[in-house]
Amino acid sequence: VYQVFENVAKKYDVMNDSMTLGIHRVWKDILMHKMNPCPGTLLLDVAGGTGDIAFRFINYVRSVQQRQLQRKLQHHQNLSWQEIFESYQKDKFNSLGDSQVVVCDINREMLKVGKQKAQHLGYSEGLSWVLGNAEELPFDDDKFDVYTIAFGIRNVTRIDLALQEAYRVLKPGGRFLCLEFSHVSNPLLSRLYDLYSFQVIPVLGEVIAGDWKSYQYLVESIRQFPPQEELKAMIEDAGFFKVDYENLNFGIVAIHSGFKL
Amino acid sequence: GQGSGSARPQPLEPSLLRFLVCPLSKRPLRYEEATNELINEELGIAYPIVDGIPNMVPEAARRTQEKPPAEGSEQP
Repeated sequence: VYQVFENVAKKYDVMNDSMTLGIHRVWKDILMHKMNPCPGTLLLDVAGGTGDIAFRFINYVRSVQQRQLQRKLQHHQNLSWQEIFESYQKDKFNSLGDSQVVVCDINREMLKVGKQKAQHLGYSEGLSWVLGNAEELPFDDDKFDVYTIAFGIRNVTRIDLALQEAYRVLKPGGRFLCLEFSHVSNPLLSRLYDLYSFQVIPVLGEVIAGDWKSYQYLVESIRQFPPQEELKAMIEDAGFFKVDYENLNFGIVAIHSGFKL
Repeated sequence: GQGSGSARPQPLEPSLLRFLVCPLSKRPLRYEEATNELINEELGIAYPIVDGIPNMVPEAARRTQEKPPAEGSEQP
């Protein structure tokens, strides 16, 4: 799996756009809206090497913080311009409201790409990068408000261990969110999806990334991954409560959610 | 982009030390500035920090002592 991602790391984003026709961006946006983080949230994004979820998280809490600030100022109609100015200055240094995201990935290449993107896009505060294994996380118990794993859990050898680790590092009340390819139950759509996956995607992989085999692996790993209900049961086994899932695009992708209570 | 060589190791993001523990023992680590490593004194291992990114995979850790800690070897 490691070598697949070394090959794939640099072209990861381009391939995602091509394979999913850009829809993966929408799926990740939906995940963020479902999370609906408020400022001050501590997020652990696992297998999030290139930073897609992390950047969305930062954008989201920043805009929530902005709106809160605007609302606060609207209530102070009688402030002088000096006072309003000072209020803006004070909050400028707290644009994220102490929100933080730690990106953990087992692949150095993916993290490097993510770090470079962050620099390029101007993300600096509230963001850290750690090389680690989802099955054996280097984080202390009861630390994070939210744990996400987007398109990463299918590459984990022992999913049960990753789920146990997710449970361990989450605070009580914390939320587990998993965005992953899943199963299409509708037979017609399923056949079209298979056609696309096995005929088109490896070709795209060859044309764009010069790598047929890695993308064939990706497609096969998707088929072997447990379907919605089975993953839900595994998440419950790890100790999570209120576990449910939301199908996106007829089950091509699903978001599973659970809480540590 | 910066094309600088790795003459000076990138420092660790300080806030990370609040959450980071040894993946094996889940016990706290000590940041050693001299070698830019995260040390688990109990197990006698050190995790490297490369390009500002801590490598917290057990395979990457090096032993900080020649003899196992149980034998009471002395380390400065």
